[in-house]
Amino acid sequence: MAEKYNLKNPAVKRILQEVKEMQSNPSDDFMSLPLEENIFEWQFAIRGPCDTEFEGGIYHGRIQLPAEYPFKPPSFMLLTPNGRFETQTKICLSISNHHPEHWQPSWSVRTALVALIAFMPTNPNGALGSLDYKKEERRALAIKSREAPPRCGTPERQKLIDEIHEYMLSKAPPVPQQSLSQDPEEHPRNEEAEAQVSPPNPEAIPAGEGLPDEAEVDRIVEESPANDNANPVGVEVPREIPASASSSQLPRPQTSVQKPDDRLFTLAAIGLTIAIMVLLLKKFIKSIEHGAVFMDGS
Amino acid sequence: MQNEEQALEDGKFEAVTSPVSAFDVWANFGDDNTMQEESVVQAEEGKKVPFVGDKEPLSTLAAEYESGSPILLEKIKVLDKQYSAIRRTRGDGNCFFRSFMFSYLEHILQCQDLAEVERIKMNVEECRKTLQKLGYPDLTFEDFFALFLEQLEDVIQGKETSLSHDELVFRSRDQSISDYVVMFFRFVTSGEIQKRSEFFEPFILGLTNSTVEQFCKSSVEPMGEESDHVHIIALSDALGIPIRVMYLDRSSCDTGGVSVNHHDFIPAAGDLPRTSCGSEASSPFITLLYRPGHYDILYPK
Repeated sequence: MAEKYNLKNPAVKRILQEVKEMQSNPSDDFMSLPLEENIFEWQFAIRGPCDTEFEGGIYHGRIQLPAEYPFKPPSFMLLTPNGRFETQTKICLSISNHHPEHWQPSWSVRTALVALIAFMPTNPNGALGSLDYKKEERRALAIKSREAPPRCGTPERQKLIDEIHEYMLSKAPPVPQQSLSQDPEEHPRNEEAEAQVSPPNPEAIPAGEGLPDEAEVDRIVEESPANDNANPVGVEVPREIPASASSSQLPRPQTSVQKPDDRLFTLAAIGLTIAIMVLLLKKFIKSIEHGAVFMDGS
Repeated sequence: MQNEEQALEDGKFEAVTSPVSAFDVWANFGDDNTMQEESVVQAEEGKKVPFVGDKEPLSTLAAEYESGSPILLEKIKVLDKQYSAIRRTRGDGNCFFRSFMFSYLEHILQCQDLAEVERIKMNVEECRKTLQKLGYPDLTFEDFFALFLEQLEDVIQGKETSLSHDELVFRSRDQSISDYVVMFFRFVTSGEIQKRSEFFEPFILGLTNSTVEQFCKSSVEPMGEESDHVHIIALSDALGIPIRVMYLDRSSCDTGGVSVNHHDFIPAAGDLPRTSCGSEASSPFITLLYRPGHYDILYPK
């Protein structure tokens, strides 16, 4: 990969070092690599932070490094629907809690990914490109995110995405069952369920082990919208999933998360109920008819 | 602007219907707009003043204030007795570091003070260790260190790679070198401030009411952040290089004759460079002219 680039170019030198560092210190929390054809273009995946509604989710995205890197910050964009950040939209993560516009060369792609993970469970506070989905919806998206990586780009990019997905699947524990957080008594049963869902994961990571470095994250803030008349967040989303505003006002029925089997059972139950009702009604009518006959007779 | 938003909208619509074409959106993805605007502003500024300008006689300074404040003109007359020339630097928030960079490298180039080169290299290694101890990953600062050390080696004469004075000026105007050296000084400054945070804390609290770490993250490490006394003290201490700053401002002294205030930043550490050429013993070989908000380089007679 290195041969194609001018190693005298400081940005290239720096990026190659970051690639090397990323490969020699792999993390269970994220994985990121540049395209072979262009080292300024990276693909990444992060796993949803533990003990949140994103746990077990695998979220893909892309990074673009500017020619002036590391003087100018990298840009991030998510590809996997997640309910926290819009997809196909630049994420406004500026790094520094003092002057949000200040990126600095002492940060790296790694720092930024750690920050991104840390931001998943935070309140978006209306930041641009942010979504505020309900926990159940986010959990459903987390489950869906494991099924298949997003499909996009050139075959080469797709290959990289697939590789990253495989790697993350082997590292990310499965999405915990929904009842886990609501009913602690069911714990043993859930562990069984987890074991069933994740055969390729013998050495599942203990929860909380890979929590991002808090000191680093401290400095990183999500940008609030600079001006209120900028692109309203809600307008762009509804084609995919209901926007944050509408979904918070009209709670969605639980069925959205239920599996097909459950629906079958429900149908069967309804069918049975109707049948019983019909039978009862028949009997009732019959008894009335009898009554009428008696009446007539008397 | 509106067109771009429209394009973005369209792009997003496509993104949902067909994921492949979604990648065309990338063009609209970055904040290209603001970056372009920024670079336009910088380019305009660049046309007026390069990162490091040419040496000009001090009379050009007087010409600038021709119809200005009499106090300033008086002060320039005083400066004129001691200093022969000025070299301007671009007012992009990095002027202190850039002035320091050029002034120091030019000094080494002209004096060929090899002992000083060895001395500063040891201090640079100390700064590297400081950053490592503070938890900075090597890859985030090593390029900047390497580039500075390379310039330092190249101003030493007698090698194939040795720089002439013109080449040094040329390199100082080359963004891919100049900005890296500026960033090197920013790292050194930030490391020194954090290493001696107890010493710097009161100064910083007086300036910004932020913690030492916040100050470094917001006012030292980002490019384009202007330097204050705190920066100068820290850089001078970390590298062990004294700096004289002449203040050209409207402050006047009541006691008769006009004089120009100056301050010598003398490093706290003991290992001062020997002043081997040009300047008198014990006086700094780097002299900067401060006008509110900006630093340039001064050349003594």
